[in-house]
Amino acid sequence: MLAGRAPPGAADCCRRLLAATLRPLLCGLPLCWATARRAAGQWPSPGLRLPEAAEVERLVQQAQRGRASLHRFIACPQLARTVQRCLQSGTGPQPVLLEFAPGPGVLTRTLLNAGVKVVALESNSAFLPNLQSLENSLDGQLKVIYGDFFRLDPLVPGALKPPAMCSNKLFETIGVAAVPWMADVPVKVFGILPQKTERNMLWRLLFALYECNSIYKYGRVELNLFISEKEYKVLTAKPGEPRAYQALTVLWQLGCEIQLLHMEPWSSFVTNLKNGGLWIPKSVFLPNDHLCLVRLTPQQNLFTGGLKPTNATTFIFVVKQCLAKPKSRLTDRLHSWSLDDPGKLLRQLEIPRKAQARDLYPEDYKHLFEALQNSNLFIETWFHDEALESIRNINL
Amino acid sequence: MSVLRLRAALGPARLRGPGISWSVLRNYSSASAKEKASRSGVCERTELLEVLKARVKQLQASHIQEVTLNKGELAPLGNDKFQEPLWKAVAPGPMGEQPGPQGGDEKLAWPSGWADKLKKEMHIRQLKVERRLSIAAAQLAPGGQAKKKPKVKAKGKTKTKDKAKDKAKDKARESLKSPESLKSSGSLKSPESLKSPGSLKSPESLKSPESLKSPNSPKSPKAKVVAAWSQSHTVPRIIYPHGKPRVLTVKEVAKPPRPQRRAKDSSQDKVLQQTMHSNLECFLFLQKPEEAERFLLLYHSSPAKKRLLDVNAYNIVMRCWARQGNLKRVNLLFSMLEAMGLRPSLDSYAAVLECMGRVPPSTKAVHRCVQQLKHDGFHVDELFQKCLFEEDEKEMVLKAIRIVQPEYQLPPPPSPQTCTSSLLQDFYSKEKMVSYPKLDFSVQELQERFQQQLEMELDNTVTIESVESTKPLNPQAGKARELLATLRSQWHDSLLQALQKSKHSMARLTTGSGHNTLYPYLCLLPDEEYVAIMLQILNSLSPQGESLAVLARELGNKIYDRHVMQRKLRSRQLEQVQEIYQGYIQLLARDSQPHQYLPREYWEKLVADAGFGPSLNLRDCSWPYVLLMRLGMHMLELLVRATKVPRNILNPRLEPKLIPVLYHIYSFHSSGQVGLIKPHPIFSQIMSDAAEATLTFNSSAIPMLCPPVPWISPNFGAFVLNDTKLMRFVDGAVQHQLLLEQCPPVNLHPVLDALNQLGNCAWKINQPVLDIIISIFNDKGNEKLDIPPPVSEAPKPPTSPSGSTGSKTQKHELLLYKKKVAEMHSLRMDALYKLSIANYIRDKVFWFPHNMDFRGRTYPCPPYFNHLGNDVTRAILLFAEGRPLGPKGLDWLKIHLVNLTGLKKKNALQERLEYANEIMEEILDSADRPLTGRRWWMDTDEPWQTLACCMEIAKASRSPDPAAYVSHFPIHQDGSCNGLQHYAALGRDLIGAISVNLMPCSVPQDVYSAVAQQVEEFRKKDAEQGVRIAQVLQGFINRKVVKQTVMTVVYGVTRYGGRLQMEKRLKEIDGFPEEYLWEASQYLVKQVFNSIKEMFSATRDIQNWLTESAKLIAQSGRTVEWVTPLGLPIVQPYYRSKATVLNCGMQHLSVKTFYTNQKPDTVKQKNAFPPNFIHSLDSTHMMLTALHCLRQGLTFVSVHDCYWTHALTVDVMNQICRQQFVALHSEKILQDLSKFMLETYCSPDRETRALWQKKLMEQLSNVPETGEFNLQKVMDSTYFFS
Repeated sequence: MLAGRAPPGAADCCRRLLAATLRPLLCGLPLCWATARRAAGQWPSPGLRLPEAAEVERLVQQAQRGRASLHRFIACPQLARTVQRCLQSGTGPQPVLLEFAPGPGVLTRTLLNAGVKVVALESNSAFLPNLQSLENSLDGQLKVIYGDFFRLDPLVPGALKPPAMCSNKLFETIGVAAVPWMADVPVKVFGILPQKTERNMLWRLLFALYECNSIYKYGRVELNLFISEKEYKVLTAKPGEPRAYQALTVLWQLGCEIQLLHMEPWSSFVTNLKNGGLWIPKSVFLPNDHLCLVRLTPQQNLFTGGLKPTNATTFIFVVKQCLAKPKSRLTDRLHSWSLDDPGKLLRQLEIPRKAQARDLYPEDYKHLFEALQNSNLFIETWFHDEALESIRNINL
Repeated sequence: MSVLRLRAALGPARLRGPGISWSVLRNYSSASAKEKASRSGVCERTELLEVLKARVKQLQASHIQEVTLNKGELAPLGNDKFQEPLWKAVAPGPMGEQPGPQGGDEKLAWPSGWADKLKKEMHIRQLKVERRLSIAAAQLAPGGQAKKKPKVKAKGKTKTKDKAKDKAKDKARESLKSPESLKSSGSLKSPESLKSPGSLKSPESLKSPESLKSPNSPKSPKAKVVAAWSQSHTVPRIIYPHGKPRVLTVKEVAKPPRPQRRAKDSSQDKVLQQTMHSNLECFLFLQKPEEAERFLLLYHSSPAKKRLLDVNAYNIVMRCWARQGNLKRVNLLFSMLEAMGLRPSLDSYAAVLECMGRVPPSTKAVHRCVQQLKHDGFHVDELFQKCLFEEDEKEMVLKAIRIVQPEYQLPPPPSPQTCTSSLLQDFYSKEKMVSYPKLDFSVQELQERFQQQLEMELDNTVTIESVESTKPLNPQAGKARELLATLRSQWHDSLLQALQKSKHSMARLTTGSGHNTLYPYLCLLPDEEYVAIMLQILNSLSPQGESLAVLARELGNKIYDRHVMQRKLRSRQLEQVQEIYQGYIQLLARDSQPHQYLPREYWEKLVADAGFGPSLNLRDCSWPYVLLMRLGMHMLELLVRATKVPRNILNPRLEPKLIPVLYHIYSFHSSGQVGLIKPHPIFSQIMSDAAEATLTFNSSAIPMLCPPVPWISPNFGAFVLNDTKLMRFVDGAVQHQLLLEQCPPVNLHPVLDALNQLGNCAWKINQPVLDIIISIFNDKGNEKLDIPPPVSEAPKPPTSPSGSTGSKTQKHELLLYKKKVAEMHSLRMDALYKLSIANYIRDKVFWFPHNMDFRGRTYPCPPYFNHLGNDVTRAILLFAEGRPLGPKGLDWLKIHLVNLTGLKKKNALQERLEYANEIMEEILDSADRPLTGRRWWMDTDEPWQTLACCMEIAKASRSPDPAAYVSHFPIHQDGSCNGLQHYAALGRDLIGAISVNLMPCSVPQDVYSAVAQQVEEFRKKDAEQGVRIAQVLQGFINRKVVKQTVMTVVYGVTRYGGRLQMEKRLKEIDGFPEEYLWEASQYLVKQVFNSIKEMFSATRDIQNWLTESAKLIAQSGRTVEWVTPLGLPIVQPYYRSKATVLNCGMQHLSVKTFYTNQKPDTVKQKNAFPPNFIHSLDSTHMMLTALHCLRQGLTFVSVHDCYWTHALTVDVMNQICRQQFVALHSEKILQDLSKFMLETYCSPDRETRALWQKKLMEQLSNVPETGEFNLQKVMDSTYFFS
């Protein structure tokens, strides 16, 4: 599951190397080569100049006008290179890369220079002109869309006000059609989760994943996200680990293959704070010195058992209920849901009678849920209201 | 007895230094007074004492360190750091800290070494001191030396004794602290050992622990302290028990730092102490003295818990034994209490005497006891003046006293005090006293009503017919009701079984550990009652479920209330109340002699005449909040576990299986998770099918059927049996109650009298209106008329309800639907409760007892149906007393009608009256054919009250002589923006005063329009100067935009909040460009604030002064307190909340706890002070008006700043209202506040050099300037209240 630790810390040398990355325009390659590559999703490098560190900061600060919440951006070219390599590290054909909140566009240019076809989804109108002029200077390798990845398909009535948008429209604009779940990854997504809504986003994505909604309607979309180290620790926790092993852990581990691509200290990123502060979130129990680039690839076999997009909300809810009090005994939990013989059920699943909620492996939860479904005892509609409520709390 | 004898023999010579009288040593408060006088002489001694104490501590610590090396188990004892873990470790076994017998020798070795070392140092120090100190200190020295000799002897003796004691100790461990074992095990603590002359030579040293207690110790000669300590250390058995408290006291004296730690400790101590007391009270109630004593000994023998013991704890146990007439035990405890160094209180003596009354001992014994009581600075009379006796305690004490003083007569009651507030001089002056207004009832009738009320309260719950029951019953409902009945009887049985089982298992557990258990609380009531309470909760559970914490609190409170009622019954309090009430009726009934008393005064007189003393007040036994929650959680767990329903009950095809009725589930919110208890859908279905025709309420939810018991003290008044607090407060807050109890009773008289006046207003139901409302309610409701429709009228749910597959919009619709249904359900239930209660008492006359919040705002106690309710409830209420309309009454009715419609707000009264006359036809049509006519009344602001008023006008105008028409209709007079009125008067703002109608004007002024105008002016100026946003706002500024912000300025709205309000208003305006919302609202709120500043220049200054003062006070770690002009003490209950986590089986519960020494929440203290202060003023104004209306014989009630009276007396009330407003604001309110706060927060004996102190003083003394508005003008202002 882990890709091993990538060498962190490109920040120090970033300024020195900046000049070196400025490259002359490359246009001497033969045309046929270019089209062939283009067909394979690989474009010739347009040889774009990367903005300098000071310029990035100025750009970010300008965009701060109005009241934007805290965002982080990649400013250092070397970090951008590292990320670009990480993103291209997978095997097989390279699908379109959707980069959300590119901001000053350092990574975008790096990716373009590496010949990747990029769709930039930007919600801050201050960054748009810059990106759009870049789009216009290129021959379709970059597509810029005004929209907010974090406000895709919100649960509100009526017409959506941009930058909130509907995933249908997004995918239509990109030109990607839905593929079956078992097929290859249709789109790659890259972005940095904003700190304040990080956990909320992880939950929202999880609901979308399990319900095959929103972006997951189009297949197993691969997410490449920078998340804080503490959340990474949560996602990859093992059963029994105090504090780290949570409902989020179980659900993400079941839902996706989780790969660590890279770890980078917080200081390597530029924030849009006025004083340029780093504002590293506090963490008491878990280490939190880095942002972690993780790849979340949905499992092909997610819906092969009794779990279906239709009953997935209930499943999520069951897991949340169980792990709301991680040290409680599973039998007690099941008992309080009107199951009069939870012991028998657990025996079938070979789960010890005294097992605590936090001792169960993610797979155990899946089996448990499938068993509950089959047992005919389980009336999922009870949970319906509550489950619905929790969706609402997350999706607003 | 033996101890008493001993003590008596020792007499006054014991501990006193020369020249220090007993009362000084005994009585803490007088000691502190005296201290001031003789400070110069004493302080040096005190200093010396402190030095010595510090040294003792040092030695102790160092010595224990040594021991640490060779004896691990002893190590943590003296070490501060390890106190808490130790505490826990020691807790289970009282003897746990004792090392094994084999360690005896080693143990013996070190205390003597310790004492030697100390002795040497003492000696050296003493020599030094003697040289240095004044004569006073030198005088003490010989005494000290004399004392050291016996100490050495004692040491020698105890060494030999120890071996014997070690054996005894082992025995004791086995015999588990039963009272019998006390004699052998706790030999030193028990009187036997005290008696035996061999054990300790010096009688003084026996009493020595007393000198350790900090209140007394500064006074006691140093050498004695030393003697005491060294002596106690020669006796290993009591080293540990005594060790802990001593270390603490010393730390307090010698080491001032670490206040935080101390605060935490003491707040924890406080709750532990409260828990201990309530546990002991439980045992007392259950009459289980053995248990109580065992429990007490548990604390007594644990070094960590010992410090929690206070004299009250011993008193409770003594009373337990006294009730059984076991004088031996009582004496034993008395001596234990003294050996602990505690001072026996009046209650201790009362317990001893009570016991002596039951089992008369020799006259000599009683004599000695009385003698000692007097020695301790008490008087026999005080027993009967101050002690709260229960049952026959009083008679027994009296009996005992009469053994020695056969002629003894009960002391005369203290003469009643009269409030001296300048605002109420007239009111309380005896010369102008008039007789209390009579009710239209005979003594006989009132007596019958009292019986009815009493029976209702004795039953605890009232089951009344629901107004829905008039609907025809369908067969399905009949079946469901049958089913429910069977299920309930099953649940009853299984709950009973579960309760008994849990009690059984607890009882087994208790015998071992005996602390922190709920067991005694599960024995207080008959099992059946616990079950009934649980079933009641089950019945009232909403289908949406309820939070665990709420349910637990409700259960806990119900048990508590029930218990208090039982105590009232048992303690004969009820009998006494009944007796007094019978006499009290004489004051109110029409066929009795007039009495020139207020209800409170009359009641007090009756109590005094009957010689009941203070015992109508129940001894306070409130349970700590944490305990209530724990108990509630236990009940809830039983309920969830025991109630089951066959799951095939609605669907016979399923296989039969029992499933729980309730299930526990978490609901997730953005910040954490909340535990819910939800009923199973099957249960909800049965309940809704059955549509039961009855509702069950607590008896306190029904208005009273007889005049309420008058408020006499903060703990006594309102309902006959139901426990009611004078002041409402958030759960767990204790500050208000403490403050009220500390307040001299006479200061509370005005407030109590005002509450009594409000509560004594009799009401009846407006039946025609009620019938119309019920008919609409039982039809389909009407949202426009505020009659909530039944849930069945809700719009149909969107399709595919199973729906996790549905699209986002579908999901959203479903969510909205669910929300709507939940809302409708709760609205409907609320209306159902109100209407059903109103219907239940439709033919009766009833009363609303009142209490108040912490600012003095008054509220009726019954929660659902009262005159504070909405339009619907107000419309069905009438005064029970009728008054003829008089010459102007009909006009007032008409003006009131127009006021209710909200149509002619800006017009003069005359114009409103003319308007009413114009539309007379509509009025009569509405009255005659409310539902079939033109229905003019429906399109008004307050339709139901309008309708009721229409009917009254119709009746009055059609009567042959309208002036003689007897009306029961209440006429309202509203303050116009009452908060700003008080501000404007405080600051004497001229412009402000005009805009809130303090100045006479021909038409009512509207402050909102005035502010809007001012804002518009500012905007124009800015627009001309080219400010973009000012130009954008052209044509958008009106009254409506600014109204909410202006209104809430009084209540301390901030710019931030004001901007949000503005944004909302602007959003509502069609055509306002959205992109300017933020900027525009920002701009507007600034201008509104500026306008208010312009108009109410002093108001803002006052507000800022209040805010800033509160901020500095809170920052200095104190809470903001003040006293209203009527003398009501107020404290703001905002603290940085500290949550205690209760670990209950089902779920961890986080409970907020309040203690006196908690840190204040600065932000809340600061922001809430101005509005709270203003509210305390408006409540004062209301109470003043109420009291003076009473003197004029008016019927008066209030809804905060809306005053009600009969049409006949509106003019009088208006005059009184203005008079009292002028009188109130003629007081130097702000100066008095400043003075009070300076005294409270900057008293000279506190540290004055600190910077914050200076700043605070400066701030508090700097009272804002006022303007030149002439307050007397209010007298002539028509629209001040209208």
